[in-house]
Amino acid sequence: MNPAEIPLKAPTSATVATTDSDVTNRDVEQVERALIDASTRLPVLFFYSSAIVWLLLGTLLAGFTSWKLHAPDLLANWSFFTWGRIRPAHMNVMVYGWASMAGIGTAIWLMARLCRTTLRHPLLLIGGAAFWNLGVLLGVGGILAGGSTGYEWLEFPPYATIVLFVAYTLVVSWAILMFRFRRGDAIYITQWYLLGAFLWFPWVYGATQIMLFVVPVQGVMQAAVTWWFANNLLFLWFGAIGLGTAYYMIPKVIGRPVYSYHLAAIGFWTYALFASWTGMQRLVDGPFPAWMITASIAATILTIIPVATVGLNHHMTMRGYFGLLRYSPTLRFTVFGAISYTVFSLLGVFLSLRSVAGYVHFTEASVAYSHLGLYSFFTMIMFGSMYYIVPRLVGREWRYASLIKLHFWSSTYGVGLMVLMLLVGGLAQGSSMHDPSLAFSESTESILPYLRGRSVSGMLLTVAHFVFAFHFGLMLLGLGRTTGVPTFLNPQEEEAVKNHI
Amino acid sequence: MKGIVPLFLGIFGTFAFSWAGLTLIPNYQIGHLDPQMDEEGNDPYPAPKSGMAERGRKIYSANGCIYCHSQQVRADYAASDIERKWGVRRSAPRDYLFDRPVLLGKMRVGPDLSNIGKRAPAEEESAASPASTSPAPSASPGANPPAPTSSASPVAAPPTSPTASPPTSPAAASPNPAASPAKTVAATSPAPAATNAPTASVSPAPANPPASPATTADIAVGPGGAPPMYSAAWHHVHLYSPRSLVLDSNMPAYHFLYEKRRISGERANDALKLTGPDAPDAEWEIVPTYDAKCLVAYLMSLDQSHELKEAKLTSAPASSPAPASSPAPAKEEKK
Repeated sequence: MNPAEIPLKAPTSATVATTDSDVTNRDVEQVERALIDASTRLPVLFFYSSAIVWLLLGTLLAGFTSWKLHAPDLLANWSFFTWGRIRPAHMNVMVYGWASMAGIGTAIWLMARLCRTTLRHPLLLIGGAAFWNLGVLLGVGGILAGGSTGYEWLEFPPYATIVLFVAYTLVVSWAILMFRFRRGDAIYITQWYLLGAFLWFPWVYGATQIMLFVVPVQGVMQAAVTWWFANNLLFLWFGAIGLGTAYYMIPKVIGRPVYSYHLAAIGFWTYALFASWTGMQRLVDGPFPAWMITASIAATILTIIPVATVGLNHHMTMRGYFGLLRYSPTLRFTVFGAISYTVFSLLGVFLSLRSVAGYVHFTEASVAYSHLGLYSFFTMIMFGSMYYIVPRLVGREWRYASLIKLHFWSSTYGVGLMVLMLLVGGLAQGSSMHDPSLAFSESTESILPYLRGRSVSGMLLTVAHFVFAFHFGLMLLGLGRTTGVPTFLNPQEEEAVKNHI
Repeated sequence: MKGIVPLFLGIFGTFAFSWAGLTLIPNYQIGHLDPQMDEEGNDPYPAPKSGMAERGRKIYSANGCIYCHSQQVRADYAASDIERKWGVRRSAPRDYLFDRPVLLGKMRVGPDLSNIGKRAPAEEESAASPASTSPAPSASPGANPPAPTSSASPVAAPPTSPTASPPTSPAAASPNPAASPAKTVAATSPAPAATNAPTASVSPAPANPPASPATTADIAVGPGGAPPMYSAAWHHVHLYSPRSLVLDSNMPAYHFLYEKRRISGERANDALKLTGPDAPDAEWEIVPTYDAKCLVAYLMSLDQSHELKEAKLTSAPASSPAPASSPAPAKEEKK
């Protein structure tokens, strides 16, 4: 497709400028960006649309999962609707369908922008997206049909995994090509994280697949490998993409450079070093050598260093600009995600301490932790980046500020309520499980009210996701607003914003 | 950041460090264990599971039992697992030697299952060799293709058939192939209730008692007639209809592992003895599929009570957790 045919974001000033034969650097950059955006249009939109379809499916599965915990007879007669299959299906759809595809979509766009080069070989990427969809579809179908491998976070049957791997190879080879053709010497912080993510993912996924299925390790080592995988997927794949995106979006929206490169470097390397050593704390008191678990607990505590540096860096960048949270949807979602990253990591430290783990191990608190990481941190940043990127791809602005606000608030309250319910419920469940004078059933009963509360929070999230999908659909159909001004959350005050900036 | 080389090296280096530290070194340390034997090289533990139990493990993981049930007992100083009678010692890496996939679990919506097979009634006789606890003496020969693993059942079948005069046949209800001692336990349960025990391995026609007492018993049994807790029969009823045995359970029912069919002629020997809303109409019966039998065989094979050098018994082997004639709806245990 010829990029020139695509309606570009903000081309007006550029064309005006060229006719005046008075081309400034700024105009050139603007046209260049528009061309880059246009070249990423098809693959990124393909990844985004697929991700959103998976998001909706995963949300429905989540609803069943949550509801069946307090209504176990719901749809229990069909094997593919049994709770033990719906739950991994939900999780895998969210992890591989939604989060990974949204993350790759954003990463492609960011890479193209930061390497300042138009996207070459879009077919590679479109093929990658198609294969990725096929892999997730096969995998989820396999789980529902009873083909789960029995390893948590890795339930996809091997045939689906192979397809996913082919898809991933296509994507990563494109990313390396892109990096090779980059212009300019400086490598921005976001690129460190994205490169890291692109290189860590095949290693962690491939090594795990080999150690579990090709040359299987013995006995409990399988569990160690599984949790090593799960935590590294969470931190080094999703975490790295999320943090990289935040490092791009926050400075970009407020129009101000990152506070400190040095802090960012410290944050990145300590993150790579310490976060990759976590995972075994989820096996606390299990049949493992104690040093493994202790090492992971220590690493978890040490992640306070990257959390503090990244948090400080974002905070100092934002200082004086917090008022913009009132207007920019991207900034609002991204900052919420960045703050959640801090909360998520600190909660991880808290839950991993042996004295606490004695109570919260084997409870819903770990589900709260995963949702805080995958939703509150990663997914919210992805929503933020989509609010920024999609208008630049389709040449339209988001149609309704009210829908964005509805999305933000139902997501925020939904995930907040969910984490709170699961955390408090987990503590209640754990403390009754810890006390041997109470019957075991006390622990499952003590959490029931919280599980019902969680189902309510799930409804809020369902509303949020359907609203977002509807809005995204309007954008795809070209029904967004045609205007040069981005959609602000509180448009009546947009003059004030302009004056302020 | 200057230069791409340090970036690449750093990305690889940090991750190689983690990979080696958390998977390769531990694998060197605990990834090549052998079964433990006594001085004479006898009594190896753990032993590989029977084929039926292995297939049951697949059913277990395919249906996501792992998301609610853990299979690991924590040490007595760390948690109350042992006080809860979930085991007699902490779990050790050696316990999982042959497990693939290993199903440690990280959630307890239901109780831990590391020793669920051990906790079945009449355990005293079976403790000797875990391999032989493989229960579910493969069904009546006609109904299912003989399992490749029916090695356990031939032991059980011959003794039962001769002794099976109707009143004593409850012996067959015992999950334990070591049939003769088991009979004493099973016989203590109310006689009419156990007459037609599910999963009984009874040789075809001769051993089968006249159908009438069985069917009447089926209708007549109240809650008191439930099979002994954690016996194979109990697991089948519990899988099919959890809330008929444990009132406040939130375990889903696994109807799809069972077959509902019209009784042709006599009632099948392995038909479930159900009460409450899940009980079928008079002319119908619920029989376990082969998958269900494998799953129960797997559950009955779970036993970590064998002492290990690295994990001594911390509490005396628990006696049978429930009297053989368990007063059903048991409040205190939940699955």
